[in-house]
Amino acid sequence: MMESLLQTLLNGAATGGVYALVALGYTLIFSVLGVINFAQGALFSLGGYATYLLMGGRIGVNGAWPGLGLPVALPFTLALLVAALVTALASLLVERLAFAPLRRRGAEPLQSLITSLGAGVVLVNLLQILMGAEGYAFPAGAEALAGLPDMLILAGARIRTIQVLLLAICAGAVVLLSLWLERSRSGKALRAVAEDFTTARLLGIDSDAMVRLAFALSGVLAGLGGGLVGLSVSLTGPYFGISYGLKGLAVLVLGGLGSVPGAIAGGLLMGLAEALVPADASGWREALAFAILFAVLLLRPGGLLGRIQPDKV
Amino acid sequence: MTSDATPLDQRQRGSLRLAALLAAAVGATALLGRSADPAAQPLPPASAPDGALTLGAVIALTGNANLYGQDQRLGIGLAERWAADRARRDPASFPRPVRLSLEDGASDEQSAIAAFQLMLRRGVVALIGPTLSQQAFAADPIAQRRGVPVVAPSNTAKGIPQIGHFISRVSAQSSVIAPLSIEEALQRDPTLRRVAVFYAQDDAYSTAEVAIFKQALTAKGLRPLSVQRTLLGQNDFQSAITAVLPQRPELVVISAQAVDGGNLIRQLRELGYRGQIVVGNGLNTPNIYPICQRWCDGVLIAQAYSPDLDTPVNRAFLALYRQSGARGAPPQITAQAWAAYQVLFEAIQRLQRRGGLQGVTLAEARRRLMTELLSGRYDTPLGPIRFTPDGEVIQGRFFVAEVRMAPGGRDGKFTLVRERSLKGVGG
Repeated sequence: MMESLLQTLLNGAATGGVYALVALGYTLIFSVLGVINFAQGALFSLGGYATYLLMGGRIGVNGAWPGLGLPVALPFTLALLVAALVTALASLLVERLAFAPLRRRGAEPLQSLITSLGAGVVLVNLLQILMGAEGYAFPAGAEALAGLPDMLILAGARIRTIQVLLLAICAGAVVLLSLWLERSRSGKALRAVAEDFTTARLLGIDSDAMVRLAFALSGVLAGLGGGLVGLSVSLTGPYFGISYGLKGLAVLVLGGLGSVPGAIAGGLLMGLAEALVPADASGWREALAFAILFAVLLLRPGGLLGRIQPDKV
Repeated sequence: MTSDATPLDQRQRGSLRLAALLAAAVGATALLGRSADPAAQPLPPASAPDGALTLGAVIALTGNANLYGQDQRLGIGLAERWAADRARRDPASFPRPVRLSLEDGASDEQSAIAAFQLMLRRGVVALIGPTLSQQAFAADPIAQRRGVPVVAPSNTAKGIPQIGHFISRVSAQSSVIAPLSIEEALQRDPTLRRVAVFYAQDDAYSTAEVAIFKQALTAKGLRPLSVQRTLLGQNDFQSAITAVLPQRPELVVISAQAVDGGNLIRQLRELGYRGQIVVGNGLNTPNIYPICQRWCDGVLIAQAYSPDLDTPVNRAFLALYRQSGARGAPPQITAQAWAAYQVLFEAIQRLQRRGGLQGVTLAEARRRLMTELLSGRYDTPLGPIRFTPDGEVIQGRFFVAEVRMAPGGRDGKFTLVRERSLKGVGG
């Protein structure tokens, strides 16, 4: 019984950790701009492919330049960090092209939603043109965890070693981000912008710079997530980040729009809900997860830890 | 009582006039469209500059079935080169030029329907495709209604040729192939009793195939101790696997698409499963190697094609495949795409030689081509094949292969384990 419970908790935490990471990316941008960046899933895919190329991977036969690769072959950890920087830059580009022009014109948030969706579609299609739709395994992917067993057994419960690593890195990223937001000067400035964009500017905070910082950080989170999931399940095609992006979106709503602790709690709850589905009804996993989302929103319309913002007159 | 026209009457008259104009416009468009219907046009002579017949190919070049579509594009392209070369060397035997028109049918039903309709407007004499059985059930009825022959290169679900007279396939249905790998697993371990089954519940092909696997297991006196339903696009199977492993399965049967199934195999092995794995046709592609890597090793699969088949046409196929720059051995789906093009090409040439394409409309040519296609025998890379009167392929040779991964787990090969000849069928 205990073994089964532990197995469920491990399964839920391993999945939920990734969901939380994706949801945090959304949260950062939503908290400062009040809009959802639909390109987050595409950035997640980009993170996976960038890690692959930085590790010395080559473009496959269905890509634009078959056999071509970068003249570097970095170890996984370094490749992951550089890939996170690449996705941060891509995220800044998305901000520049899809969000900034509309923000300057004072456009409705819905318009940014559409432009970010467009940016995401373009990004995924560019990835497909460049890399093809074939699956990729990270070069020496199997050896990235050299010396470690494929699986760990904890009190009878089994978990893949890569998932433990994934969970640890997700938890580390979440803790670091939370500490930075709480303790650092720039983190406090970001929170001030999230509280009130205009007032923060009147107080001397460069609100536009903070917006860019939020996009860069959300890009870093997407890059880390994409690289880690890519190592865990290989790169299954340019669209692989989209499904995580959609799930992250549900987690964002479940946890409470704009709430960092809410994104973490929502991710873990969603992961656990999926893991709790009995084996014989595994096909209903998604349905149950979204039923929980529906029930939570009925009871707490603002999400688990979110607040309902009253309209200001 | 006066009969002066009121403003309302004038508006009504205006509306009537507008409606009449619109009706006339619609009628004229329909008439123009009818006269421009390519099916109603007579075929030009083979020697005319526009005498080439167009074969349409609708395959998945985007979406999640893209992995199969790319392999099919290669197979059709190679067959086209091979056929053109034969025609150049022996123009008397191959008198009718054939041109290929390729369109992306993506991976969903709506895109396949749109691509089929586009091809019909282009006046194709026959169609190859679509990639997925699920798409075929949606798009094939359109070709059937218009009397356009369709040869499916990869639809293996039950009921495809039964869509109509004009629908056929070169891909043997799962019920013939799938049980062979179960037999092989039992031959390797006659004592095995504990079987677990995984399948993608939202995939028409996988749900049909898993029923066949279950029948094959039942026929051998085996009852699955666990059946796990997965979803298309799912890539984390930790929960499903850890639910099954405590039941100590000795054989795992998987029916899923390549990417999902590849991930499932990898995670099964990583989580400590050491028994045999049998997979369905969805994983019948080298594209699984990068997904499950070294963990693919030992996976059993029944196939309709083996690169080890030593026939002239298969040697030609292998030579062209290597010339194309593709690595390793060609997958079954590429060989089947070649076969789809080959059977249509050869049927067209036979019909042309007998004068069956002279002075007929495209619609009549399509009807005659279908009859010719079904009556022929073909020596393809799959081995000798022919068709039943309702368009089902009759293939005599099948194979059971085992995946053997190269050291490092980066590349592998479907290694022939056993060849099965089915009595009373084949060329």
